[in-house]
Amino acid sequence: MSHLRRFFSKLVTHFRNTHVEDELKREIDSHLTLLEDDFRQQGISRDEARLAARRAYGGVERAKQLHRNERSLLWFEQTRQSFRYAFRQIRKSPGFSITVVLTLALGIGTTTAIFSLIDGILLRPLPFSHPDHLVLLGDHLGSGLDLGVTAQEIGTYSNAASAFSSLGGYATSTYELSGGATPEVVHAARLTAGVFPTLGVQPILGRVFTKQEEDAHQSLAVISYVLWTNRYHRDPHIAGDSIELNRKVYSIIGVMPRRFEFPLQTGHLDQAQLWVPMSLTPEQLSDEAAGNWGYHMVARLKDGVSVPAAAQDTDRVAQQSMRNFPAGISAIHIRGDVTPLREYAVRNAQSLLRTLFMAVLIVLLIACMNVAVLLLVRAIRRRREYAVRLALGARTGAIICESVLEGLLLSLTGGLLGIAIAALAMRTALHLLPESIPRIDSISMNATVITFALLLALATGILCSLAPAFAALRTNLLESLKEGSPIGTGGKSHAWLRSTLVVSEIAIAVMLLTVSGAFLRSYQKMLAVDLGFQPEHVLVAGYRLPSMQYPANSSVDAFNLAAIDRLSNEPGIVAVGITTALPASAGSAASGYTIEGVPAAKWKLQFANFATTYGDYFRAVGIPLIEGRYFTADDRSSTPLVVIVNESMARHCWPGQLAIGKRFHAGNPRRPYPWATVVGIVADTKPGSRDKPGADQWYAPTEQPSILNGSEGSGTLTQPSSGYITLRTALPPEQMIQALRSAVASIDPMLALDQVQTMDDAIANVEAPRRFNTVLIAVFAFGALALAITGIYAVVAFSVSLRTQEIAIRMALGAQRASIARLVLITGAKMTALGCGFGALGSVLFSRFIRSFLFDVSTTDPLIYIGSVLVMMLIALLASALPATRAASTDLIEPLRSI
Amino acid sequence: MPSGKTDSIQLLQGTLDLIVLRTLATMGPRHAYQIATRLQQISDRLLNLNQGTLYPALVRLEQYGWINGTWGQTENSREAKFYAITKSGEKALHVETMRWRKMADLVERLLTEEPH
Repeated sequence: MSHLRRFFSKLVTHFRNTHVEDELKREIDSHLTLLEDDFRQQGISRDEARLAARRAYGGVERAKQLHRNERSLLWFEQTRQSFRYAFRQIRKSPGFSITVVLTLALGIGTTTAIFSLIDGILLRPLPFSHPDHLVLLGDHLGSGLDLGVTAQEIGTYSNAASAFSSLGGYATSTYELSGGATPEVVHAARLTAGVFPTLGVQPILGRVFTKQEEDAHQSLAVISYVLWTNRYHRDPHIAGDSIELNRKVYSIIGVMPRRFEFPLQTGHLDQAQLWVPMSLTPEQLSDEAAGNWGYHMVARLKDGVSVPAAAQDTDRVAQQSMRNFPAGISAIHIRGDVTPLREYAVRNAQSLLRTLFMAVLIVLLIACMNVAVLLLVRAIRRRREYAVRLALGARTGAIICESVLEGLLLSLTGGLLGIAIAALAMRTALHLLPESIPRIDSISMNATVITFALLLALATGILCSLAPAFAALRTNLLESLKEGSPIGTGGKSHAWLRSTLVVSEIAIAVMLLTVSGAFLRSYQKMLAVDLGFQPEHVLVAGYRLPSMQYPANSSVDAFNLAAIDRLSNEPGIVAVGITTALPASAGSAASGYTIEGVPAAKWKLQFANFATTYGDYFRAVGIPLIEGRYFTADDRSSTPLVVIVNESMARHCWPGQLAIGKRFHAGNPRRPYPWATVVGIVADTKPGSRDKPGADQWYAPTEQPSILNGSEGSGTLTQPSSGYITLRTALPPEQMIQALRSAVASIDPMLALDQVQTMDDAIANVEAPRRFNTVLIAVFAFGALALAITGIYAVVAFSVSLRTQEIAIRMALGAQRASIARLVLITGAKMTALGCGFGALGSVLFSRFIRSFLFDVSTTDPLIYIGSVLVMMLIALLASALPATRAASTDLIEPLRSI
Repeated sequence: MPSGKTDSIQLLQGTLDLIVLRTLATMGPRHAYQIATRLQQISDRLLNLNQGTLYPALVRLEQYGWINGTWGQTENSREAKFYAITKSGEKALHVETMRWRKMADLVERLLTEEPH
């Protein structure tokens, strides 16, 4: 207890030091006075009494020092002194300090920014209770990676799988949300009642729906925190209110917490805003609809059940349900499997983040090397001072401690600045992230990230300052003192260390340059890929007609016709069309098909993308016709079925023959679907991003839905009621947005348009990930280059300053200024050549890590290597040019005088 | 370690604290000079220490909270810092005294025990 008390009073003493010192002086004075008084009483003269008092007291300064040592925390006091010393050193050379701090701030800042992404996406737990037990389960079809289930299988899995404590099915959907100022499209999910208990998340308000309510097809909705905030201003009495979805009234029963997001979509724009009961209809459960794998399931593993065991159990159920497949899909083979939810959520981002993190670590490494070089140069300059101090009895430990402290002060300042940079970067860059980055909302600067940054600063500070300190001390005392004498090139003993650091810096910069070169080449190659259509001057808009108001083909036809009619009469519009799938924007549907004349026994499942079109779609998006004809207004429900295929499909299905006039139907041979005749061949369009492979494609007229589902469907809805309106405009397409909106509003004022944008923008979204990677890597490479320049400059300039006298002597002996400059340039060039060599070698060794990110570019493309090395050479030349000119203009007299 | 040359003895670690506490406990508040004088008196000049060496002990005891210093006047109207023992100081004195006695007893027994 009293020890603790003593510790605190020692601590307090530090902050009241002058007061304590004054008090001590006063006490000693009074003591001496009393002593003196006593001696005076013994009859000694005043002066002698004073001396006697002093003698009896002992050394006043010694007593003071003893008092100080006793009252204070000795180590604390010493540390404070070291700090003061370090501060003085830093203040003494502001240029040096600022360079070091900025270098570290840059390194730590970028690393922290990327780490905050990793923290948000990969490290933070999913917003569910015990997320490690959650898996997605479903079927693999063929070689596909996506796990889907059919509507019927939701029941099968729920009843027959034994590895799970609970499970539920879901499907994503969009709804037209009306009642606001403008009708809008909201993303939503249909859930079976099992999903909420499986995820283990409670609503913050109200409740979730029960199995009974789901089975009774009640119109209930649980809304998201965002919707509750934006649309209902956090009304605490929201439960019981109604919400109009697809022009049908639903009752709001609950609000989910802010962090809750399900399904885990990539990108925040598709986040589900509300959740409604799945309530599968008899049609959805019918055998006709059995081939739709558009549903998903989430499940919670029972305690102690491993993922492989659960996968086995799932496959057992899958084989069982495969035996009971209805005739229409009996040829399809499935394999049941599970994926941990977390793995699924981050799979798109993992490799990208790993690469990014490697890139920033490399930049940080370069930054550290740079700082080490700078500190080393300084330590060498101060070697004489160290030698003197050591000779006077300073401990080696104290000097190393001092230098580490100085490094720490610099690196922590750099770290704090880095955090600021990272925070700023996050604020501005978050919306630049590609949509494919999952869990974007959980990315933030938080305690973990800041701790990470500070630890990083601590580690770099110690690492950067230890090596130079040891290097500077590892010199023979006498030698150093002697070496401090003016002649000679001084830091010869550490030239090796300096050069190694700079050579590795150059090597790493060259590696980053080659990587970014490869990325840039990939991007360039991707942009050069022909999309197969002309996206310029095209405006697109998504829509979905609600089934209540558009219950039959006739009403959908009426809408389509009216839309085409209104829009084609707008001034400035060249062509108008409607399609179910846009090219080059990753949203196409695919189906199997059966070619006429191929025996059923030889049939195998192959997918082709398909879209239905209406109006002048091909001209609107600019897909060129190769042979035959486009669809016309005469291709109606009553006329013979026609299709248009792309070149790939024509070549693939009818090799060496003319495809026009050939027939095929959708689905497998057992399906009694009608044959459709190929009337045209069009160019291949990219179904997704330009760097992804093409696909077989076919198109059908919207008015001939029986190609797709076989049914004649008079009076009911068989044709697609959602899709995209496409406009080719003579004016800039942005100017047509208002015309498009008002034309649609004049047909159906309640209809919501979704993603109204130019085709160029739609493509840019798809290509965002590659652009993002490329920009980021290029920025890193640029940073590395900038740091490498600083490093080369520092070392060359330093070696010049050490050789001032040598240079002066050479010049006195008749050396030309040009040859002096050459001498210096050669120093830089040697290091650069070596660094480039190692860098190129390293790039070859590490090239396999980036291969998967490249498109149509070889990782050993000599052009990239030559380019990177040339850039580095040039930069290095520039960096050593300044010291070289300075060396060449060395004043002859001054250095010689000091010899 | 008998030096032979002088009678003065070296103070054992910690004993100075005990002596100061004991002095203040029996004599009431005293200033540093009085404590030093008292030390010399009772040690019969066996304990020869510079008066300044008392200061570390005083600051140590004060930081432990065992003594408390306040400024006051001597009979000759000189100002001086008077130290008084505190409650917890008395307790500590008791504990330290017991410990010292035990220690002294042990050492005494060790020294008087005759080898057989």
